[in-house]
Amino acid sequence: MKRYLKLSITAVLILAVVALIYPPYSRWARDHVNKITATTDHPVRCGSCHLYLQKPGFISKLVNAEYHSPFNLAVSEDGRSLYVVAEESNKLLVVDRESRKITHEIGVGVRPHSIVIDRGGKTAYVSNQWSDNVSVVDLASFHVKEALKTGNGPAGIGLSKDEQSLFVVNSFSSDISVIDLKTSSERKRLTAGNNPTGLQSSPDRSMVYITSRRTLSKPFDDTIRCELTILSDGKQRISARKDIISAYMMENIAFTPSGDLALMPVVRPKNNVPTIQIERGWMMTGGIAVIEMKPEGRIAQLLLDEPNAYYADPFDISVTPDGKTAFVSHAGSDCISVVDIDAVREIIAGSTDELLEQYAHHLGISSRFVIKRIPTGANPKGLAISPDGKELYVAEHLDDRIGIVSTETLEMKERIDLGGPRRTTVNRRGRQLLNNAGGTFQNQYSCFTCHPDGHEDGLVYNMASKDMGRNMTNTQSLRNIGDTPPYKWNGKNQTVYKQDGMRFSTVLTRNEPFSYRDLDALTAYIMTGIPNPPNLLYNPAGELTDAQKRGKMIFERTHDFAGFEIPVSNRCVTCHPAPFFTNLQMVGVGTLAASDDSILFDTPHLNNIFASPPYLHDGRAATLEEIWTIYGKTEEHGAVNDLTKIQLNELIEYLKSLRDPDYEDGSNKTLKAAFGNK
Amino acid sequence: MNSKTYKYIIAFSILALLIVTGLLLIRNPAETENIPVNKNQSVIEDYRNSGDRYPGNSSQVIKEAGMVPVYGNWRTFTTKDGLPSDKAYTVRIDGDRVLVGTHDGMAVYENEKWKTYTTKDGLAHNGVVSVDVDELTGDVWIATLGGLNRWSGGKFETFNQLNSGMPNDLVYNVFCYGAHIWVATGGGAGHYDTRTRQWEIFTEMNAPMHEPWTYALSAGDGKVWIAAWGGGVIEYNTETSQFRDYVDPDGFMEIDLQPDDGVIHDITTATAYSDSILWVSTYFGMSRYDGKNWKGYFDHDSGLASNFINFIRAEGKVVFVCCDNGLSSTDGTTWVTYKKDDDSENGKAIITYGTEKKEIPLSPSISHNFIIGVDACGDFLWAATSKGVCRGELIK
Repeated sequence: MKRYLKLSITAVLILAVVALIYPPYSRWARDHVNKITATTDHPVRCGSCHLYLQKPGFISKLVNAEYHSPFNLAVSEDGRSLYVVAEESNKLLVVDRESRKITHEIGVGVRPHSIVIDRGGKTAYVSNQWSDNVSVVDLASFHVKEALKTGNGPAGIGLSKDEQSLFVVNSFSSDISVIDLKTSSERKRLTAGNNPTGLQSSPDRSMVYITSRRTLSKPFDDTIRCELTILSDGKQRISARKDIISAYMMENIAFTPSGDLALMPVVRPKNNVPTIQIERGWMMTGGIAVIEMKPEGRIAQLLLDEPNAYYADPFDISVTPDGKTAFVSHAGSDCISVVDIDAVREIIAGSTDELLEQYAHHLGISSRFVIKRIPTGANPKGLAISPDGKELYVAEHLDDRIGIVSTETLEMKERIDLGGPRRTTVNRRGRQLLNNAGGTFQNQYSCFTCHPDGHEDGLVYNMASKDMGRNMTNTQSLRNIGDTPPYKWNGKNQTVYKQDGMRFSTVLTRNEPFSYRDLDALTAYIMTGIPNPPNLLYNPAGELTDAQKRGKMIFERTHDFAGFEIPVSNRCVTCHPAPFFTNLQMVGVGTLAASDDSILFDTPHLNNIFASPPYLHDGRAATLEEIWTIYGKTEEHGAVNDLTKIQLNELIEYLKSLRDPDYEDGSNKTLKAAFGNK
Repeated sequence: MNSKTYKYIIAFSILALLIVTGLLLIRNPAETENIPVNKNQSVIEDYRNSGDRYPGNSSQVIKEAGMVPVYGNWRTFTTKDGLPSDKAYTVRIDGDRVLVGTHDGMAVYENEKWKTYTTKDGLAHNGVVSVDVDELTGDVWIATLGGLNRWSGGKFETFNQLNSGMPNDLVYNVFCYGAHIWVATGGGAGHYDTRTRQWEIFTEMNAPMHEPWTYALSAGDGKVWIAAWGGGVIEYNTETSQFRDYVDPDGFMEIDLQPDDGVIHDITTATAYSDSILWVSTYFGMSRYDGKNWKGYFDHDSGLASNFINFIRAEGKVVFVCCDNGLSSTDGTTWVTYKKDDDSENGKAIITYGTEKKEIPLSPSISHNFIIGVDACGDFLWAATSKGVCRGELIK
């Protein structure tokens, strides 16, 4: 009895303490979560922040996992092996088709992107986007023989007709490295569009086509255009640059075997109109550009979307050996569109130029040539067809699998598990959500669409607000923004929770808002999972050049060159202090346009700023120079009018050298790997 | 024979040997310097020094001309033939086509037809004053009075002082050297690295020029020579990033007090480098520099058409000189100068060799005596004048 009494009293006491503590704790917790999330109804879940928003460290290692993330792939000539470029694990995976097992894992450079195999099947070349080189892999010994130096951000890759040269598309420096394979050195560099990624040779190997993602610089409300660059294989010179109108994000290109058509996935943004009417495709549509290869051939654009269903982020395209069918992977919709190429030929042949212009906007046209949609795993990217044409291999990027589609039944028949972690971490879930259009009205676009690779698409949008046609804004990067709230140019969103919460669904996605579970995952990914690439072009090793050092002095100066003190509020370093080069404060710099409300702007961070043109809140400055040569004359955006052109150039050189603070202490794994992979 | 006879024979033999050796040395002087190895862009230099652009010579037909080619059968092109303007400022031969910069745009001659490009097509300014072609990429770089263009794959890209690090929009000259594009502008000279997209510019602030007005430049063997108005020649070593300048040692504006003591005058209009020889044109004569010795040329002591020189271009051993009173060419010794008669389409080629002169009548002749630009390649010589462009064919 005494024992039970003791237990009861203890229990009552405990309950009393809890009853005393819980209400204030509950209130405190509620306030704490409200403050952190800038919302009022986010569930009080400690793990959301304290587990999943951790910077790299012990806890982060526990809760996260390292995936392969297959990005592109190639098939051996005999069809027995698949060569899978694993973007996140920095490997080339050799998969035996028969056994569906990985036979070799070959370490390559950082963020490998594409692969090409020579005709004899002896050597594979893998572009490493964050190492600025190409790994040359001996497919007999499965070792990397050497690394070939390229331009900045190598992506698409291909061999010349005589296989004496390697063409490498440099996505960050917007050019093509032509590498002499005998001397293993770069012979020349050719400019190509803006942020080019895809490369494919014509069937007769006489020409090489390079696709770009970003548009060519034009003022807002001008028609956007994206460049298709054509290179002569024999002369190794650019023979033509074609503008694809009203399109961008042209990731890849494929040819029909007969060479009569080239097909290219495109996204058609409607950034020139206010984003108030997402239905009927008035935010984004996606389709294919069809290029007639004959002299004076036309370029048509046909939408793959349907009136009430959109297929976001078309990425890769593959054509069957018989030339009858094309497959397009929709990275944002987890599916593949199956295209009847003969039907496409019929549409093109039977249409005037005016009709083709209408078809570029026609949501119903896909019913005439899309014969099926095949569901896939998460974020399907690269495609490859088996040599006999019977199987289509799909890199299910965020599921760590290779999907295998029967080209006869047009069904997913099996999958190859690449052996990545079994669990889907919160961060991974967030990445899947960012890349999926399921959160937008009729799946029209994903976060990736405007933020490719977690960056920005270089476009200026007129976001929906109470006043139409006002407050144009330049898309901002999401890379490593966890430490730089608030968000949006007007700084209205104090947290990513708020940025992607209810307002996001009201203004942008026009759909049900994310569940809190999904919002937590998305936030975790955005806050911790999107790193900046290393700045290998302007500041690879943290050692500034003399010009950059002089530019740094100008950036940090307190007096102008006449000796007058620069007001503290107008010094570069006041608003843009290291390490993120933002003081997180709101400021006006004399750049309000007539169409802007009278607001202050959230000071943007400047890490990797060289990779984010155009500049200023409405993208009016096409280059860093124009921020001051055209738009900085009032001296409200730093004191620059006393600078000579040389000094301004040096200031710009310093700005271009700014990189992510994660690379500053020299211990960063990515940077070490980038330099180690020589 | 006695010993005295032997002594005479030996002495005579030694004397004969000395005479022969002396003659041989005179006829074949030894090289005075090692030609520096070009560590940069050897492919470019090989191409530039190859026979592809080297003009032939007419020595088989006109012996007096020696190694200097003589051109005849001149044909003139004006607005009547499709040129946008008769004021032609520059000409550049690019394989099977010819690029001409005029007052009203850039004209391209290909398949015997002219096609004009203007600001409507994307040109920065219709005043095109210099054109060069990147030998590796095939990109055409166009210097205009309002910016610099890259013309590639049919598309124009504009660089100006507002959107880039270029020093000034008044671009007088452009020169492609490896991966770098050099410009001479009214606000300094500079180069654009096509791989890193960075500009490095030079003015009186960071280079030995007393003002930033630069007219032209050329490069070779790792060095760039900038013709600085009133500043002589500024030499920039691309490997060491060091400058040195060459100015007229006389210091007097009108008198060449001490001949061949340096560059002939500080008001330089162009430089040209070929075959390890630097040629410098000024408004007061021309100079030749072999790395050690300077040699000056005036119209009164050589075959130079006039001391007022607008531009020069060297191909192989020969330099072509654009004067205000004719077109000259020389290898430093023999001269061939073209002049048009005032009152007809005819003219002559005046060959000057030593103190001798020979005139070859030409019918028709060059289009005008005020020569502003020139280029030679293979069998053809093109000249840009204030009355159209003209093309001469090598007399073989």
